[in-house]
Parts: sequence; C-alpha cells; structure tokens
Amino acid sequence: MKTLIKAARIIDSQSEHNQTTQDILVENGLIVGIGVGLTATDARVVELPNVCVSPGWVDLRVRAGDPGHEHREDLQTLAAAAAAGGFADVALMPNTQPALDSKDTIGYVRRATQGLAVRVHPLGAVTKKCEGHDFSEMIDLHHAGALAFTDGDRPIENPDVLLKALQYLRQIDGLLMNRPEDPHLARFGQLNEGITSTLLGMKGIPNLAEELMLARDLKLLQYALLATNYQPNAPILHFSTLSTRRSVAMVREAKAAGLPVSCDVAAHQIAFDDTVMLGFDTNYKVNPPFRTPDDVAALWEGLADGTIDAVVSDHHPLDEESKNLEFDLADFGIIGLETAFAVLNTHNSVLTLNQLIDALTHAPRRILRLPAVRIAQNQPARLTLFDPDAAWTFEKTKSKSKNSPFFGIPLKGKVYEIIA
Amino acid sequence: MASNQLSVRHLLGIKNLSADDVQLILDTAREFKEVINRPIKKVPSLRDVTIANVFFENSTRTRLSFELAEKRLSADVVNFSSSSSSVKKGETLLDTVNNILAMKVDMIVMRHSSPGAPHFLSDRIRANVINAGDGTHEHPTQALLDSFSIREKLGDLAGKKVAIIGDILHSRVALSNIFCLQKQGAEVMVCGPSTLIPKYISSLGVKVSHNVREALAWCDVANVLRIQLERLQVKYFPSLREYSLYFGITKTMLDQLDKEIVLMHPGPINRGVELTSDAADSPHSIILDQVENGVAVRMAVLYLLAQQ
Repeated sequence: MKTLIKAARIIDSQSEHNQTTQDILVENGLIVGIGVGLTATDARVVELPNVCVSPGWVDLRVRAGDPGHEHREDLQTLAAAAAAGGFADVALMPNTQPALDSKDTIGYVRRATQGLAVRVHPLGAVTKKCEGHDFSEMIDLHHAGALAFTDGDRPIENPDVLLKALQYLRQIDGLLMNRPEDPHLARFGQLNEGITSTLLGMKGIPNLAEELMLARDLKLLQYALLATNYQPNAPILHFSTLSTRRSVAMVREAKAAGLPVSCDVAAHQIAFDDTVMLGFDTNYKVNPPFRTPDDVAALWEGLADGTIDAVVSDHHPLDEESKNLEFDLADFGIIGLETAFAVLNTHNSVLTLNQLIDALTHAPRRILRLPAVRIAQNQPARLTLFDPDAAWTFEKTKSKSKNSPFFGIPLKGKVYEIIA
Repeated sequence: MASNQLSVRHLLGIKNLSADDVQLILDTAREFKEVINRPIKKVPSLRDVTIANVFFENSTRTRLSFELAEKRLSADVVNFSSSSSSVKKGETLLDTVNNILAMKVDMIVMRHSSPGAPHFLSDRIRANVINAGDGTHEHPTQALLDSFSIREKLGDLAGKKVAIIGDILHSRVALSNIFCLQKQGAEVMVCGPSTLIPKYISSLGVKVSHNVREALAWCDVANVLRIQLERLQVKYFPSLREYSLYFGITKTMLDQLDKEIVLMHPGPINRGVELTSDAADSPHSIILDQVENGVAVRMAVLYLLAQQ
C-alpha cells in the first residue's frame, strides 16, 4: 500500500525538511521518500490545495461513553471524530462505566480499538472507580497498556492519595495527571466566579479552586522528590486543562525551579470568556469554566513561552438529555476533537504555526512517553494533513453527540486526513 | 415619548427590560390599582386568554397574587405545582410545559429553582413566558411591585436611596431590585454578613455595607430580605440567633433614626430573625401595601405582554 502526497508543506520542528514543500511517499507505514517531483506506480496520489503535513497529532484528554454510555460515543465513533480532527493518537480518560481501573477494562479498550488508524490509549484510573480512595493496581494496569494515570474528571482530593500515587508510580517512571480543582470551593459552581456569575445569580467556580489544588500538588511533588535521587527524564506530574493566569504563573515558576511537571489547556478555553454564558446556553457549560479575557491572554502567553506544553480537545460527548436542560441541571462538557485545531488556529495571534503544531504533536507525545515521530526518510508514517488557511464551518460531526458551541461558527484551518 | 408597548415578548428578568418598559409597567399598574379598588374589580381585558401558573417551587403569595391578577383580567387560569423540578425525578421541564401548551395555553407564569429556566423555555416555546422567580437569579414582578410601592410612598425614584438588607447571595429579589432601581435612577446599597454578599456585587454599581445601622442611617428605604434557610446548601453564618443579634432590625432602631424611613419585606417574614414583630408591624412598614400592589403590577405585566 503506497501513498504519494504531492507538494506538501512540512510543518515539523524536529525535521530537517521543516517549512519546505516536498512530495512524500509512504509505503507500508514508512516514509520511504521525501523530495520534489516524486512519482510512484500503484500509489494513491494525494493532491490537496495548500496542504501542510505534520507528525500525527496527539490528544491528551478525550472521553468516550464506551463502556457504559455507548449512545454518547463508542470507541469507533471516538476514533472517527479523532481522525476527522487530525488526531492520530488519543488518550482516553478512565471515567467510563465501569472505570478503566482493571486489566479487564484496559484490555477491552485496547482490543476494541485494535486495527483502527487512530490509536486509542487508555489511561488507567489512579483509584478504583476514580473515587479517590483505594488505589487501582497501577503497575498491572501499566503492563496491560495504561499509558498514564489519572482519575480523569475527578480531581484527586486527598493529598495523601496524590502523594502516595506519585511515589508509587516511580517504579515504572509513570506519569500522573490531575485536573486541579478543589471540590469544596467549586461545589455547586456553574460557571466562572465573577461579574457574569453575579449577573446570572449563580454560584461561581473561583479561580482559587484551581490554584489552591495546583499549589498543593506542586508542594506534594516537591515533597515526593525530597531526599530521593529520582531524576525523571520526562514529566511525572501533569496538570490538565488549566484556566487561570495564576495557574500559568505557578507552573512557569515550577518549571524554572526544575520540577518535572507539564500541563495543557483545552482549545475551547482560549476561545471564549465567561460573558458567553449570559444567554444560559448549556453548550458553553464546561469545566474548567470560561474565565476572563485576562486569563485567556495569560493562557496564550503560557503557550507562547512553553509553560503550557500541549493543547487538548477535552472531548466530552454528552447526550441531549444531559445538555438540553435548565442550566444548573445540565452536565459540563464540550465535544472538541473535530474543532480543536481550527479553534486554536482561528484564535491564534501569538504562536507560529510550528509552535502551534508542536503543542499538538511533539509535546503531548513526549508527555505520554510515546515514541517520537518525525518527518524523515525511513521514519514511521503517522501524519496529519491539513490546511491552516482554509475557511470552513463546523456543521456535521462524526461524534454521536452534538454538545458543541462551535456549530455554525466560521473557523479557519481545516484538517484533510490522517495517514497512520 | 414613552411607548405604550413593551420592548420584550417575555418577562424573563428586569435585566432584559428598558427603563421605558419599567415606567410603562408601573404607570399601567397605577391604573389597575384603581380598578381593583372599585366595587367591581374585574375587567375583560384578557378574555379568552389562557394562562398557566406553573410552579416548580413552593409559593403562596406570588402564586395567589398572579392568580388574582389573572382572574381580575378575566383570563382563564390553570395551575400546576410540583415540588420536584429535577429531571432526575421524572419528566423534563420542556416536556411538562409542552404538555400544558398542547392544551392551548397562551401564557406561562413559571417559578423554578434553576436560574435561567424561563430563558430556556422562552427559546423553545411560543407562549409568552413570565418569570415568577428563577432560583437565585431574578424575580422581576417582585422588583416591579417594590418599585411601585416606593413610588407610591415617596414619588419618583430618581436619587432615592434604597438599602437591600439580608441574604443578597441567594436572593433573586435583590438582583431584580438592583436592576429595577438603577433603571429608575435610584441609588442602591446592599448590606449583610460578608459571606452572604456576592464577591463581585460592587461591579453592578451598588454600595456594600456589613453594618445594618450604617445602612439604615444611609437609606430612605430599607428592603429587608428573608433569610433563605432552605436555600443555604452550606454554612454561611453560625446561627439564626447571631444573625438576628447583628443583622436583625427592631422598631427601636427605626425609631432612633432621625428621619422618615420606609420598611419593606418581600415576605414571608421570619419574625424575630431579620425583623422583629414590632418593626414589621410599625408605621414605617409598607409590607402589606406591597402585597396589594403585587396584584396591580402583575395585572399590568400580563396585560402588556398579552398585547405583544
């Protein structure tokens, strides 16, 4: 099986061909030729206007309803949405029913997605049922294929659990991911705490809820490393979907102090501020909530200076019964796989295209300890083909769910396909 | 020149009204107040209009007040009450309301525990929606009747000082009153324990105080709110005893002020908590006028929305 991609601009900061326009010949999953004027017999020829090619994108944070809520998203539709969004690898949150807290469920995800172009990597639950109490068998889950550990949507509330998990994962050089949010401060919160929440008469989720747990986690990490000679060569604590200026500053300081941490931001987080909630549209209801324009600006600064490593879709499929409701009864979440790149690209005014793509490919790959991918001769061909300038409107989704605020909104930057 | 039509199809909140809308409603209410004090209190304005009062939260006076207003306007009235508004317990809000509308209802008066529930409905149904209180968000007809009552007592609201005292955080009455008073040029202060004042409330252009004597000294009108014990999901203050000691209002406090002061309360009063009985029943109080005016104001709202 051969594929010949004609006249593609290579966007890969790790490749000697970066920012050059080349033909790329792929055969049996390998890049066998890069050059100008390549020809091949029996090859599928891909000729697309203004096409760019980069190493396949990686999403650190997606959810499916499989197992448990297959009507929201099964693993096949998840993979289809990922492919449509340009993602060749996705990391699946363990908040399924049952949770990904056993060899069985990890094995189920791997078997159910075997042979798909998109690789669905299960993330193991830190604690059983992601409830924050008893540890799941993390080493066993690791050997069953869990790439990293997190309680997903559930922040790890108990500091002792987080500390012990960090210490325990050292044996496998494992990665712990936490979404920092103090559940007591965030309790009953519906949107960002601020002028908008005051106007709407709803309880807000203060920035402090995120920052307090983030500060705590950094202290716990320092303590876990204290008096050890452990020098991990990749981040061992990752913060998911940061949303505030102070959070970015704290991670920036932690990195400067040499702590092995990384973090990400959701693509939709840098597109909106909390004033979009004034119409009570539950499609904007998401956690972390949309914050202020100043927070959004800080998130962009964090991306530009590398404090924020990766951009995630935070894909969260929800059925109509969970969304077409009174605001406070509706669930939090947005489907983001198909729009993540375009949303990021549309709102971007600070990142170079290389920086933007790095946050979608090299950084998340390194965080997840996936093998590096680079566009070069004899390297594995996991590629995303896209046009950063194409204008389009999100109208149809491959997902089973439709909870997105982006339907009907003009976007810039379109994914053509993945080759994987 | 003020229009004789509202700029909105629904009464979702005071926030969505223009200053002219507020004036129009209050002026119209004055005419209806005259009507309900006649021997024959009924007018045919809403004949053949069917109104459903849909209450997903307990209410006595608001529901009664709406029902009376509707009947005085000769509307056909149906009532639906259910204490469970959660979809988890059965039918969704949209299904419930669509079932009622299928029976050819023209207007829906709704109270619901979810902020934005009337907005949710108004986006999805054709009937006029009137918000009779949505959670901790707005209670527009209460704010309108409060303004009407102040105007009746003190005249034009421009430049008047109104202190709203009590649990501001959980109060839909407070938010609607802030919007309503400001649209008429009044100055507003909110006063209560600091845990019951929304952190960003001063961004709405109101003064903030945590000293009830200071608030009383400042204002022309004190609108005292009910401590919403049933709506407090977590602890905001230690006890009702301490609340009444430090934030409760007594007749002595009112008498000691060297000025006229108007005392209001949206009801139901927790006697002995936010107001002592002698304060609530004192000549300063216009609490029962508020109730009477509620009918007239709601007649005005229903009448004007029915023209849309």
